[in-house]
Amino acid sequence: MMEIRSMRELIEITKLEKKSIGQIMLMKEEKKSGKDQETIIRMMEERLIKMKEAIDSGKNDPSPAPSGISGGDAVKMSQYVRRGKSLSGTYISDAMTFSLATSESNARMGVIVATPTAGAAGILPGVLFSLHENDGTPYEELVMGLFTASALGYVIANRSFISGAAGGCQAEVGSATAMAAGTIVELKGGTPEQAVNATAIAMKSLLGLVCDPVAGLVEVPCIKRNVIGTSIAFSAADLALAGIESRIPCDEVINAMYEVGKDMPRVLKETSLGGLAMTETGKKVKERLFSKKS
Amino acid sequence: MEFESCFDIIGPIMVGPSSSHTAGVVSIGKFVHELLDGCPEEADIIFYDSFAETYQGHGTDKALLGGLLGMNTDDSRIKHAIEMTHHYGLTYGIQLEGSCPYYDHPNTTFITARSKDSIVKVGGVSLGGGLSKIFMINGELVDIRLSTNDDISTLATHFSECVKKDTVLKGVV
Ligand code: SF4
Repeated sequence: MMEIRSMRELIEITKLEKKSIGQIMLMKEEKKSGKDQETIIRMMEERLIKMKEAIDSGKNDPSPAPSGISGGDAVKMSQYVRRGKSLSGTYISDAMTFSLATSESNARMGVIVATPTAGAAGILPGVLFSLHENDGTPYEELVMGLFTASALGYVIANRSFISGAAGGCQAEVGSATAMAAGTIVELKGGTPEQAVNATAIAMKSLLGLVCDPVAGLVEVPCIKRNVIGTSIAFSAADLALAGIESRIPCDEVINAMYEVGKDMPRVLKETSLGGLAMTETGKKVKERLFSKKS
Repeated sequence: MEFESCFDIIGPIMVGPSSSHTAGVVSIGKFVHELLDGCPEEADIIFYDSFAETYQGHGTDKALLGGLLGMNTDDSRIKHAIEMTHHYGLTYGIQLEGSCPYYDHPNTTFITARSKDSIVKVGGVSLGGGLSKIFMINGELVDIRLSTNDDISTLATHFSECVKKDTVLKGVV
């Protein structure tokens, strides 16, 4: 099987093999690792289960993170959604709740699955389990969705960055949101082209986003960026499923993300020396936390 | 291509909060642990750039120490690694620097670790997504890719020569 260096190549292979993006990634993993499909699927399933556990533990946990600057919002959100008045509809509202739960668990040093990083770990589980909740997408399909997401993330990671320190939050929450958007499309029966269009549209929406965590903690603004990422993923998926294309091809969007990331000043790449980290409140939080420690 | 497997993208299963500042760093520490074939008695740690700015918030120190003590990425004891160094008899110091002169990446660290009869100096970089790379051992450039799916102990045995060599040198001095 040829190497997958671009979304264009990925789409070509799906056509050649008459398989979905997720199935192609599974085949590729089989070849590369020498493990059989069943083992690989079981490994991915294990990750899905860990995601579910993180959601379940976070959803009902009102306790704050050790820093005191996050925690308890998942509980608030799920109570609000249960009242049935949320404006975004149940798909997005549930995804937001699950995403909050996961990212809050992460901040409590709980066990999570990096997708593709821990900072962005809330987005993919959020949309996947929202699909499960709202239209009964079975777990086996969610597992295949994780293969789809990994194929999209694989291309992004090898062409550009996936960490905030290297490329800003566009690389982290941006990549995760892009992966989630394409995954929703494939799970909802869209074509590989449509999935890749959704990926491009989502990434474009987050292009340029800086990484500026308050006090260096993956909490503010990270947790809420995960939450909003799920709604962008659903919107981008809807656009693509409507047949709308990204005017800039996905590979070029990824290249642009790389260039923007390279040009981004160091103070806006996870060093906590700029952006929200340097706001009046951001600086106060940092002072409070670090004076407590020493 | 730095990323090879679907599990480099979906995964690792890890203790939060940051795959580049926690998970990838545990692997670097664990590599040193395996290189010395056990927990070091002393470790001098240098954090560069982004690591130097934010290690407290991300628990990068806990992650590296946890790895040096032999823990894996999903070990829930990592948050207690600092207290645990006492039990294991590991003394350590942390030095903070700007950009790393040996490797162009913001998430870099150097560890000089000693156990009874060996010393090793390892440069590591955390590339994101839990993936990391050892780029220098005792002044020699290497390229050892670490993912949390790898068996780090087997990987490290290929390089145990480096440790021995240095022991001989130390004997001479
Ligand atoms: S702001 Fe930085 S640390 Fe927070 S989620 Fe974005 S990339 Fe990660």
